[in-house]
Amino acid sequence: MRIEGTHTLHAPRDRVWALLDDPQSLARCTPGMQELRPLGPEEFEAVLSIGIAAVRGTYKGKLRITERTPPERYAVQVEGTSGAGFVRAVGLLELVDRGPQTEVRWSGDVQVGGALTIGSRMIPGIARMLAGQFFQCLDEQLRNA
Amino acid sequence: MREPTRTVQLLVNGRTHTVTVPVRKTLADTLREDLGLTGTHLGCEQGVCGACTVLLDGQPVRSCLLLAVQAAGHEVTTVEALGTPDRLHPLQQAFWEHHGLQCGFCTPGILISLVAFLRERPSPTREEIREALAGNLCRCTGYQNIVRAAEAAAAWMREPGR
Amino acid sequence: MKPPVFEYCDPTTVEEAVDCLAERGEAAKVLAGGQSLLPLLNLRLARPDCLVDINRLDELDYLHEEAGWLRVGARVRQRRVEESEEVARRVPLLAEAVRYVGHPQIRNRGTVCGSLAHADPAAELPGVAVALGARLLVRSRLGTREIPAEQFFTGQLTTALRPDELLVEAQFPVFPAGWGWAFVEVTNRHGDYALCGVAAGVYVEDRRVRDVRLAYVGAGPTPVRLREVELAAVEDFRVAGEEARARLSPDGDLHASAEFRRHLAAVLTGRALRRAFERATGGEPHA
Repeated sequence: MRIEGTHTLHAPRDRVWALLDDPQSLARCTPGMQELRPLGPEEFEAVLSIGIAAVRGTYKGKLRITERTPPERYAVQVEGTSGAGFVRAVGLLELVDRGPQTEVRWSGDVQVGGALTIGSRMIPGIARMLAGQFFQCLDEQLRNA
Repeated sequence: MREPTRTVQLLVNGRTHTVTVPVRKTLADTLREDLGLTGTHLGCEQGVCGACTVLLDGQPVRSCLLLAVQAAGHEVTTVEALGTPDRLHPLQQAFWEHHGLQCGFCTPGILISLVAFLRERPSPTREEIREALAGNLCRCTGYQNIVRAAEAAAAWMREPGR
Repeated sequence: MKPPVFEYCDPTTVEEAVDCLAERGEAAKVLAGGQSLLPLLNLRLARPDCLVDINRLDELDYLHEEAGWLRVGARVRQRRVEESEEVARRVPLLAEAVRYVGHPQIRNRGTVCGSLAHADPAAELPGVAVALGARLLVRSRLGTREIPAEQFFTGQLTTALRPDELLVEAQFPVFPAGWGWAFVEVTNRHGDYALCGVAAGVYVEDRRVRDVRLAYVGAGPTPVRLREVELAAVEDFRVAGEEARARLSPDGDLHASAEFRRHLAAVLTGRALRRAFERATGGEPHA
């Protein structure tokens, strides 16, 4: 399932890039992130606890940075499994210079499997909600820095 | 591992049974495993397929979506109560004669749903039968003979003395 | 799969129920009809520590009109609402919409309040609650509070309910004569969740449309009411459909693309409004 959106961050592009490029900042802002451990220069192991309402799961998986073109493009590949199924996603972030602000165009493709498929129709909405939380957190970090 | 259990009395097909079950055990599993009533089938355990349908106080419900402990104090009717091999229920007879089943996996749920439906609607149209069975999925028959069997059974059951 | 281990309480009074919730908070989940919760438990998508079963709360089993509001207690099954003549006469939108909820076997156990508390984005009853401006009565150890429907649904499967709160009653307003209502939806199969559903009310006086209510389900994370579309509908039903198409932002998924959902919204807006109009003017009875 394809999902996409845009978010405006209140900082110039090179500062946004610096933040995105820092795994610990990303970890702080990723909803439900419990652990983020580097495995290599472009690869991380992660443990996340996410869900909505009563539907919640702990996902163990990997995140790989597949593209890194400073200061404009950043692409990742994520996969994780929980007891209830798996999630596979690819995401692309494009940073557009807007002077003192940066427009982030994000897009992604999400696949779920296992028991999670029962809720596949809610995945786009959930992904959008999580993305919103992520960018809002980044924005706060940028404003407070 | 220890987990919370309860001892409850279940009234099933007119007989009372005392069972001790984990509170998380569904009625469907309890009927099948503790009471040996394996006529009730598990197809999806999500409430979609209808193979687990039983009557609770005369109303069709998904037994896979009921905890056994919730059935205490209620009357449960399963497909085993409909008839015996020597004396089939009109619905069972009709399904046999009209080839309303192939693998038979969905059949108990369909029979139970129809028993309740025909009680409320003794002279249904084909459209009404189809709508009444929208919650019972069959992968074998294509439903044509199921509807024919339901019609035949309804007609037979309308005859005086049945 | 089978449900994970949980503790189970089946209180016999609302006070007891609320106490259980207060003690367990986030780790507890209310079990009403179970038609949405048990599938999640069976698939282990939800793992509450404790289930609070409200099916023994006889005191919440009431369905009657009082002072212009239809009061539906938390234990009232959807089937009871479907068969109630009082509901058919006083809140016909609810009577019509409830027939689209799943199948009879689901409605024999599922509750109206349970469906509202579960807040599935494509569920019919939340759409009815928003279209009518229903009120939700919520109990906790701190007392009772009232939440208007437009504030109750906050996201997919998310409501304004706090972890220690129990939805005890849904109140649906009885509209005066002159209002006609219709609920329409499109699904792949009978009983599925709506790809797009529309709840419509039309108020007619002297054969002219004076006011309109419209709520959409399956078009966003919560039911959507758009006043601009309602005002457009007072002028022209067809234009209202196009306004809906322009203003709604549904997601696409396996079952339907976003574009198709917007198309459905446009078509069903017109269909629902016309049917509601016929019913307001006596041309057609309520379902």
